[in-house]
Amino acid sequence: MDIEKRKQLTALMKTRLNRPMRYYLDLCTRCGLCYDTCHVYQGIPKKEYSPVGRAEVVRRIYKKYFRPSGRLIPSWGDAKVIDDNSMNELLEAAFSCTGCRRCMVHCPFGIDTQHLMSMAKVLLIGNETAPEELVMLADSSVEKGKSIDEFKDGYREVIRDLEKEVAKHLGVTETDGLIPMEKKGADILFVGLAGAHSIVHPAVIFNKAKANWSLSFFEAVNFGAFLGDPEKMQFIANRVVNEAKALGVKEVVIVECGTAYRIPKFLIGPLPFKVSSIVEVIHRYIKEGKIKVKEKSIADSLTYHDPCHLLRGQGIREQPRELLWAVLRPENSGRVWEVHWPCHPGAAARRTPPLAGEEQA
Amino acid sequence: MWDSIYFFIMVPMVYIAFATLVIGIAFKFTIIFISPTIKGTIAVFPKGSVPKLCAVRDSFFMPSAFMKDKPFWVVIIAFHAAFLLLIIGHLELIREFAVIQVIPHEVFLGAGWVGIVLIVTTIYFLFRRFKTPWREISVPEDFIILLLLFLTFIFGSHMSLASRYGIAGFDIQVSEYREYLSSLFTTSPHVSRGILASPHYVIVALHVFFANLFMMMFPFSKMIHSVFMFAAQFIKRK
Repeated sequence: MDIEKRKQLTALMKTRLNRPMRYYLDLCTRCGLCYDTCHVYQGIPKKEYSPVGRAEVVRRIYKKYFRPSGRLIPSWGDAKVIDDNSMNELLEAAFSCTGCRRCMVHCPFGIDTQHLMSMAKVLLIGNETAPEELVMLADSSVEKGKSIDEFKDGYREVIRDLEKEVAKHLGVTETDGLIPMEKKGADILFVGLAGAHSIVHPAVIFNKAKANWSLSFFEAVNFGAFLGDPEKMQFIANRVVNEAKALGVKEVVIVECGTAYRIPKFLIGPLPFKVSSIVEVIHRYIKEGKIKVKEKSIADSLTYHDPCHLLRGQGIREQPRELLWAVLRPENSGRVWEVHWPCHPGAAARRTPPLAGEEQA
Repeated sequence: MWDSIYFFIMVPMVYIAFATLVIGIAFKFTIIFISPTIKGTIAVFPKGSVPKLCAVRDSFFMPSAFMKDKPFWVVIIAFHAAFLLLIIGHLELIREFAVIQVIPHEVFLGAGWVGIVLIVTTIYFLFRRFKTPWREISVPEDFIILLLLFLTFIFGSHMSLASRYGIAGFDIQVSEYREYLSSLFTTSPHVSRGILASPHYVIVALHVFFANLFMMMFPFSKMIHSVFMFAAQFIKRK
């Protein structure tokens, strides 16, 4: 790696040194309490996959360029220069972290490893060594945002097909308007995923509840966030924000994707509308009597595994339990709910390098 | 020559160390306050009914450590509680504080136990780092700081215990330390005659030397966690 590149990456690093980042880089005592709290470490018990191991990869580079001790006596804190080897370590660390933030709960200082990994991801993007498939997915989301008019007709066709499925569930013959789009003055803008299941079932519920809603042209998933590119994350989130503003909706409802919900809810600042998870909305409809369920109709017992983002990231704990208790006889999964293991495999396989992803799964 | 070295340690170096400590912490705070904040929140749930109070509770009692490793939690709490008493004890070596003497006690407080607890817990922290997986995540700084603390505590504890229980003919009394430390604060620094004349002067000088190093390292090492911990805990709950 040439000196110019190193300077460029150091400058990039400096731009990301916000307050939480500085705290997290400075105050870790390497007590090791987080060591085995990572589910990736549980699958692959190597130091590199422990939260502290990951954080140290970033911290050592930080020490080298931003701490006097790292500049003068690098061995004091194992400070490391930015080179190809350290970039490989960053890649391994950043993309084997699924961002479940379980380690943050166990850290006596509350260090957010996911936030630290955002620094690693920014450096990888700067070095043009971020995972190519994520770069492509984020770029295609950005491109869709830039030229949405070209996609609209094709998407409407797909949605017309889905309306037939919704009609079947509702037991009606008329399919028109069951999945409204671009509806000005709608109360709700619903943002689904690319899969039909994430649109059909919410559409059935919105229709049953007689909600004044509209479906977004965009998918909720934010590959900019997965990639760790703050600019792309913001752009991708803004697609929905701008759509919601244009329609004048009061509420944006996000499909049951934890990351997709967390970004507009908590990571991009205040918005002129409410942001809710579909789980919260279904719960609200039941409470308000807008939809009814066949109570205790399913005899099977089950264990509910809290999605880490929904639970730790958004604090949605009671609603899914109450929904399940309404229809099932569930066995609760434990008392200490905030330290649950993530339900990660899908996310992990997508976010980790191929080998680690397979081992992890 | 040794007299000059001892004097340097006991007077100019203390001022240098204290200035480094204060300026270093102020510098760290300045860096933090000129750094940008983040737009949203990276808190985790549950935030608690009164998030700020919960952050203070988390900082002082570390419930996450209790949940994860109870024996380790006991050691952490013992260490930090003893360290707090250590600071209070040193304040009483500067002058008398009526508020601290609400519970009447002999200076130095703790009857020697403060030092013993600190030594034992520091040894625990150090030896813990010799073991996997903590050995793998440790860096030289971790060992050096623990060694530095151990050396500071061992000499300080010796001074406290030997003085209180008259061990090994230790002849430096609390009044001698008070004269020396208060002189540092009243800008008329001198080492009291009792310390200068004592054959145990070297013990005092070594204790002060290691304490000086501790103060100088504090803002620029992981020991800064004791200052930033509250802010980080607040971010977790905000």
